[in-house]
Amino acid sequence: MEHHASGLAVLLTWIFGLARHPWGTFAHGMPMSVLERYDHLLISCLAALVTVALALAVRCRLARIPGPFQQTMEYLVSFVRTLVSDNVAHEPDRYMPLIGTLGFFILLNNLFGLVPGLGSGTANWNVTLGCALVVFLYYNFHGMREHGIGSYLGHFAGPVWFLWILMWPLEVLGLFSRILSHSLRLFGNIAGEHVVSGIFFVLVPLVVPVPLMIMGLFFGLIQTFVFIMLATIYVSGAVAHEH
Amino acid sequence: MKKFLTTAFLFTVAVAAFAQGAPGVQKSLFEGQYLAHISLAIAAAGCGMAQGKAVAAACEGIARNPQAAGNIRTTMIIGLALIEALVIYVLVAAFAVH
Repeated sequence: MEHHASGLAVLLTWIFGLARHPWGTFAHGMPMSVLERYDHLLISCLAALVTVALALAVRCRLARIPGPFQQTMEYLVSFVRTLVSDNVAHEPDRYMPLIGTLGFFILLNNLFGLVPGLGSGTANWNVTLGCALVVFLYYNFHGMREHGIGSYLGHFAGPVWFLWILMWPLEVLGLFSRILSHSLRLFGNIAGEHVVSGIFFVLVPLVVPVPLMIMGLFFGLIQTFVFIMLATIYVSGAVAHEH
Repeated sequence: MKKFLTTAFLFTVAVAAFAQGAPGVQKSLFEGQYLAHISLAIAAAGCGMAQGKAVAAACEGIARNPQAAGNIRTTMIIGLALIEALVIYVLVAAFAVH
């Protein structure tokens, strides 16, 4: 995916006259500028800025009788809140901000792929790996805070004490492979959808890619939901108390 | 399942035969892009069967008990994502081969 850059990066390179380096070339052999090479970072910074701007915009004009914009945002926030409180038994509101923010960030990143001139940040593995690593550190931290370090690491040994030498390595391996599956799922879906709609666009540039783009809209929503749902499940698994 | 695997194998052989007809291409059957594409096809077929079973069961559950639709739908989406992840791994591997 290295040989494509979004129109925004190309435009900014042209406007600012950025230097071109031979660290990666386009398919037609032209060297790339720093913005074109790290295009996904540009798009994800844009998504992060839009997320912050939306939150500030709704925060500055909180009204007793909400307008359409505030109602939409309230619906989205209460959706995330229901999602978290359905899965986490104790203090769900503590875990809501990170999961909701990740949801907004990933949703915007996915949907930017459908805007002409922009691309998806999540179509690059580095971005999704970052999100998955944040979630990984977050739920392990909260697991250790809730249970204590020794007890948290100990609960991977499973219920039968003499099987710990078998269970503990497997469970820890499973814990670390969650990072991989969590990030690759999002990346593969978005990147695969882009490749498919790109191929259709090359074959038939009119009308035919439209159903695929609608499917891309749908998959962007579903994959965001799946990502934050799995993050919630991981958090609830880490902080749950056995009864 | 046996029939499916046989078909997949025959398809592989056919693709290999066509590939060897192309001039200047010296690639064995189980190497590089062919392997990536064929394995993606096999993974997608398996994923299709599995997702079909999952959705069928979820539909049946919702038809029998429409009140539980919300829970069943959420569980189904998670299950579908986990099934799909296996194909996504193959897709990422196919990206890596290119």
